[in-house]
Amino acid sequence: MSAPHAPPHALRVSGVHKSYGARRVLRGVSLALGPGTLAGVVGENGAGKTTLLRILCGQTAADSGAVEHRGRLGYCPQETVLNDFLTVEQHLRYFQVAYGLSSMRRAEELMEELHFSGYRQSRVAVLSGGTRQKLNLTLALMHDPQVLLLDEPYQGFDWETYLRFWSVAGRLRDRGCCVLVVSHLAWDADRLDALYRLHDGVAAPWRPGRGG
Amino acid sequence: MDNPGRRFATAAAFALLEHTRNRFALVLVVFYIPFWLTMEHWFVAGAPTGFLLRATGRHLTVDGNRLTMVSGAINAVTLIVGFMMFMTTFKSLAFDRRLVLAGYPRVCLLVAKVGAMLLAAALISAYATAVICWYWDPVRPWLLMAGVFTAGVGYGGIGILLGAFLRNELAGLFVIIMTSLLDTMLQNPISNPGATKGGVQALPEYGPTQVSVAAGFSGDTPYGHLMLGPAWFAAMWLLGTAAFRLRTRDHRPAAGRRPLSAAARP
Repeated sequence: MSAPHAPPHALRVSGVHKSYGARRVLRGVSLALGPGTLAGVVGENGAGKTTLLRILCGQTAADSGAVEHRGRLGYCPQETVLNDFLTVEQHLRYFQVAYGLSSMRRAEELMEELHFSGYRQSRVAVLSGGTRQKLNLTLALMHDPQVLLLDEPYQGFDWETYLRFWSVAGRLRDRGCCVLVVSHLAWDADRLDALYRLHDGVAAPWRPGRGG
Repeated sequence: MDNPGRRFATAAAFALLEHTRNRFALVLVVFYIPFWLTMEHWFVAGAPTGFLLRATGRHLTVDGNRLTMVSGAINAVTLIVGFMMFMTTFKSLAFDRRLVLAGYPRVCLLVAKVGAMLLAAALISAYATAVICWYWDPVRPWLLMAGVFTAGVGYGGIGILLGAFLRNELAGLFVIIMTSLLDTMLQNPISNPGATKGGVQALPEYGPTQVSVAAGFSGDTPYGHLMLGPAWFAAMWLLGTAAFRLRTRDHRPAAGRRPLSAAARP
């Protein structure tokens, strides 16, 4: 139970456990993030970062523990989950209907911000890895989520796009969105309000270069 | 914006578009069907062939060349429709799961896929029947087309089921080819003219083959057999739907699901 005057959390994870057979991947992950927070989770390959994010977005069931989030949820998977037979425009229309949006204004803004408006009529199958990732990200953001889960969202981005990504993420935070970015690297620690390290199945607050 | 009609129309339009952009399947339809039927027409002797048409209980003696073409058309259509539905289900499963998590109703996606499949199967069956009619005149071409269509629909259901269960493209294609091969060999009048053993009725191509052969060479209409292909489809589709539901489950607590869609916006 929250204290009466405690700030409301946007995302709260309590004691999440997950095992695959005998391998215990998550052993009681707990964290709480407020609205307008840009947070990161880092960890080595196989630490369970993607499993954690899949549990947070509802794609995978936890063995035990609880996940709560307030507001619309956006999730950008690590691998680009797109349909190669459809164009960029058709993807946007499909998700416009899925989210029940009356316009694609936000999607158009994001395409401008990420510089891929010129590919609107292109089939996804012929796009570069970076442009596919931009569309992957846009589909997670176009309904203006209040809690956003991003799994290695800048894979395949060039340097300029990488910087633009952080500028988009910063603006989302300023608008009150709770953004959780999962990465296997801690290069971006300075851009984050909170950083957790997933190690031995547990998430603990962490500052790079200070051990732990 | 939450109009169910719009959701269904969008999903149906994109499901159809996927089929039209499956170039390999289109090449198979356009070239393989006439090639296969032409080869049969060219190479298979037209000697009289006798067999028991179980649907009517009558023994028929017909042109072996024409009988082979009917069987060949069914075989080709089942392979193509089964392959199309396997590929579209297999390739779009992760994408469909993402759509479902974003708020797209599963039922819209599933019904749209079936609608697109029925249209594709109808067009392919009409095309295969037209090729047969190019070479000879079946007694009732429309019923022949219906028989071939029900075969395609049955294998479309098998394709959906395999696409929802299997995790490997090659495995899916292999299972479809082997099933169709076994099915054709065990129950059709060319390879098994007597077909006296009980149980052949349970094979997916049995009903459609009986209907198609009756349409090609007699004035009988085996209405019951016309329903066997769709029955196969229904059974496979139900299993496929259960698998689809299982693989696109939302594991968040019920209270946490509503905010995903704009309908739940404050």
